[in-house]
Amino acid sequence: MTNSIAELEDAGCIFVIGSNTTAAHPLVARRILRAKEKGAVLLVADPRRIQLSLYADVAVQHRLGSDVALLNGLMHVILKNGWEARDYIAERTEGFEELAALLMDYPPERVAAITGVAPEDLARLAELYATRKPAAIVYTMGITQHTTGVDNVKAICNLAMLTGNVGFKSAGVNPLRGQNNVQGACDMGALPNVFPGYQAVNVPENHAKFSQAWGRPLPDKPGLTILEMVKAMEEGRLKALYVVGENPKLSDPDMNHLRHAMKNLELLIVQELFLSETAQGAEVVFAAASTAEKDGTFTNTERRCLRFCKAIEPLGDSLPDWEIICRLATAMGYPMSYSHPEEIFAEITRLTPSYAGMSYARLGLSGLQWPCPTPEHPGTQFLHRDRFTRGRGRFHAVPYIDPAELPDAEYPYFLTTGRMFAHYHTGTMTRVSPHLDREQPTGYVEINPEDARRLGIAEGETVAVASPRGRMEAPARLCRTVRPGTLFLPIHFGENPTNVLTSAEAMDPLAKIPEFKVSKARLEKVEWS
Amino acid sequence: MYRLVPSVCSYCGAGCGVLFEVLDNHLLSTLPLKTHPVNEGRLCIKGWSLHEYVESDMRLTGPYLRLNGRLHQVTWERALSFAAQRLKEIVARYGPDSVGVLASAKISNEENYLLQKFARAVVGTNNVDHCARL
Amino acid sequence: MAELKDLVRQWLDSGRVDLFLGYKEVAGHPLPYAFSPDNLEEVEELVVSPARYSLEKLAASILKERPQLKIGLLARDCTRRAVQVLTIYNQVEPGQVELLDLSCCPSRPQVSCSALSPPQVGEVKRALGIDNRLTPEQFEAIPAAERFGRWLYEFQKCIKCYGCRDICPVCFCRECSLEHGELVEPRDLPPEVPMFHWVRAVHMAGRCIDCGLCEEACPVDIPLRLLYRQTNRIVRELFGYDTGLTLAQPPFSVLGVGPAEPREAAGGGK
Ligand code: SF4
Ligand code: SF4
Ligand code: SF4
Ligand code: SF4
Repeated sequence: MTNSIAELEDAGCIFVIGSNTTAAHPLVARRILRAKEKGAVLLVADPRRIQLSLYADVAVQHRLGSDVALLNGLMHVILKNGWEARDYIAERTEGFEELAALLMDYPPERVAAITGVAPEDLARLAELYATRKPAAIVYTMGITQHTTGVDNVKAICNLAMLTGNVGFKSAGVNPLRGQNNVQGACDMGALPNVFPGYQAVNVPENHAKFSQAWGRPLPDKPGLTILEMVKAMEEGRLKALYVVGENPKLSDPDMNHLRHAMKNLELLIVQELFLSETAQGAEVVFAAASTAEKDGTFTNTERRCLRFCKAIEPLGDSLPDWEIICRLATAMGYPMSYSHPEEIFAEITRLTPSYAGMSYARLGLSGLQWPCPTPEHPGTQFLHRDRFTRGRGRFHAVPYIDPAELPDAEYPYFLTTGRMFAHYHTGTMTRVSPHLDREQPTGYVEINPEDARRLGIAEGETVAVASPRGRMEAPARLCRTVRPGTLFLPIHFGENPTNVLTSAEAMDPLAKIPEFKVSKARLEKVEWS
Repeated sequence: MYRLVPSVCSYCGAGCGVLFEVLDNHLLSTLPLKTHPVNEGRLCIKGWSLHEYVESDMRLTGPYLRLNGRLHQVTWERALSFAAQRLKEIVARYGPDSVGVLASAKISNEENYLLQKFARAVVGTNNVDHCARL
Repeated sequence: MAELKDLVRQWLDSGRVDLFLGYKEVAGHPLPYAFSPDNLEEVEELVVSPARYSLEKLAASILKERPQLKIGLLARDCTRRAVQVLTIYNQVEPGQVELLDLSCCPSRPQVSCSALSPPQVGEVKRALGIDNRLTPEQFEAIPAAERFGRWLYEFQKCIKCYGCRDICPVCFCRECSLEHGELVEPRDLPPEVPMFHWVRAVHMAGRCIDCGLCEEACPVDIPLRLLYRQTNRIVRELFGYDTGLTLAQPPFSVLGVGPAEPREAAGGGK
């Protein structure tokens, strides 16, 4: 997030796109609703009719995967009416001319044809967003899990910069991280191309700095992303995989594909709290302790590094992840010995400029937001205050591209996936939690009542959903949250795995994020003989 | 014997502050931290239920090793030395880039840091990623 | 404050109580803390927290596991009322808890209390929803037809966190009706409107002690206190019963139509 969560309350406009915030990030939704109640305008664009839509000044349900067209259409209207921030564009950005030229191609009628959003609604959205400053955009996986995920994000940034809405309190671009420590995992360099603090592995100074700090010559070529690893497994190039805290068998976009690829591994090590689907196929399973059983830090979506404290002893013979990693490294001949996570944190702060000013003592219980470069620095509430980190903000002219799959005669439905309010990710933790399990014990498929009527499907009846990749069954839930012609599946349920249906092939070429949000599908009644 | 221990909810990226209610090394409940900058004394259903998965019967309570096709509980020494041995063999035979490491958005900063250090300094590969793309 | 600490030390030292629940500051955050005879020196760090936690609910949860203990509580006026209700419903035995009064209510505003800082209510909420600062009398001055629409506006924000129940000192049923599929349909958000809120409101009649913790914990600022005050007002008008001020059985249980059956073992709302 370029802003802070609490700051959202003071926005003049909040534009929520591709985020079912009350279900996936409820305590951020709180700030959005409070902003609205204080007088901000609330704009919602989501293919589903979400709870926040009830409170929106304008809510549109654009066709799945048509985000770039929608955003370009908004910018077209903004330019046409002269609502852009001319001084800001001149002083702080570059590439405006190319963008303006591209936007000529997105008049409201064409945008309506692609997105299904009426020109009047588009005009209202554009006007309110451009004129009610400071305006904050909030988005999540609904934007990124597409073949055009990076384009979607660029288009969002274009919109924010065009109206001078980045770099101020309550004005910015705010991706909400789905899992609790995604921000921290990225900050810590759990990425194939960067060391901690986004220091690229192929820049000689960084390479030298870390090689020296860790006492080993390090590899300097970027490594494989997770989906490239799957491919390398398939081709027999990747022989061993060490998986910590994840259940890729359920989070991988194409489960059949992954199951097949994993067979080629000579060694699969899984470190987990539970015997997950992935762990069941491992050679070695390390039993990890939960957050409640150890000390450490997480970094939340607003870049706030937060301390958590050990509440109870590790269960049975399980061990905290940091201890397991240290022991494994030591067993491999690279001694790692830390007496407490605080020591590891101190090493992190020495090597990571944006965390350099932090310490456990300074974090206290409120945490600190990076960048926090020195021990006196109070942390950073919002980014890009006077200038963009990279100098001038660059506009990227991104044309609309259709999603990899659109419905056809054989698979006439749009299929999309997402979260529901009581569960988290692949469900390994929430489904063993009695109160959460009681809320929603099984998977389901949301079907618009009109579609259900046509097929004679009743509430709760088991139906089959098929895509070119696979088929699965789940109880039908009839609701108007989805439009006719669209199906929605929650991602949390192993026995109704959505990823037998979604595609691992369709992914964003740059971010390598798979397109979970749009597939084509067929809906069938299950006939009992 | 009875304590309230500050922690952070691990069910989404908001990072709400919680207190675990602990009696004699068992978790009784989760409460919102009233003075936390993110949640100011509120939680969603997941946060209020945060303690429930921790002591679940389904939790793994020790390391396992596959022997004759089936997973058996073994000692840490055995599991670790087997894993280390096999990793070393694979690195020696196929090179460090034949190994991949998947870190996690569920473990701490310190652990993610160590894990990428493990991939880069111990194994010698940049094949390290996490599941956030998924 | 020195007097208070002396009393706490005396209580612990003399064995009058085995544990004393108060607050201690950690990195600037007042947290509930259990003082015991083993850490008498720590009593020096006892603070009066402006942030209210339901110490009586914590005490009830300890007593459920360790019924032989005697627990002292740093008590606000609302704590005292809650303990009365917990005693009526057999969640704590008389004598299991002892209260050390803080005297905090508005009539004696020398001690800080978060309930005393009025919530900030935005203009749109005032126009379409309900101003959290309204009294039942003020709210009832609004035309009835409009009132329901305003409640709908508020209820539809609900994210079904169950925080209102989980934080409530007098919600302790092991099987909570809010989770009964036949009463409240278990689907997505918002929870069934207005059933979810009605069920809880009915249960709070003759039980709610108006501490306001539920409203403080509600992520979407629903004026829950007003809702339960209205229900309690009906009880008071019909039966002349003031919840939490007497040990008499609440009229509903007298009539045998109690919202939730009192149980012998305390369950905690969750
Ligand atoms: S309590 Fe809810 S909103 Fe807060 S971090 Fe947990 S899951 Fe996210
Ligand atoms: S009184 Fe009992 S049943 Fe009613 S809301 Fe509270 S805990 Fe649930
Ligand atoms: S005010 Fe709310 S929290 Fe307090 S007793 Fe009444 S219902 Fe429970
Ligand atoms: S605390 Fe508020 S949001 Fe949560 S369940 Fe109660 S009324 Fe709904």
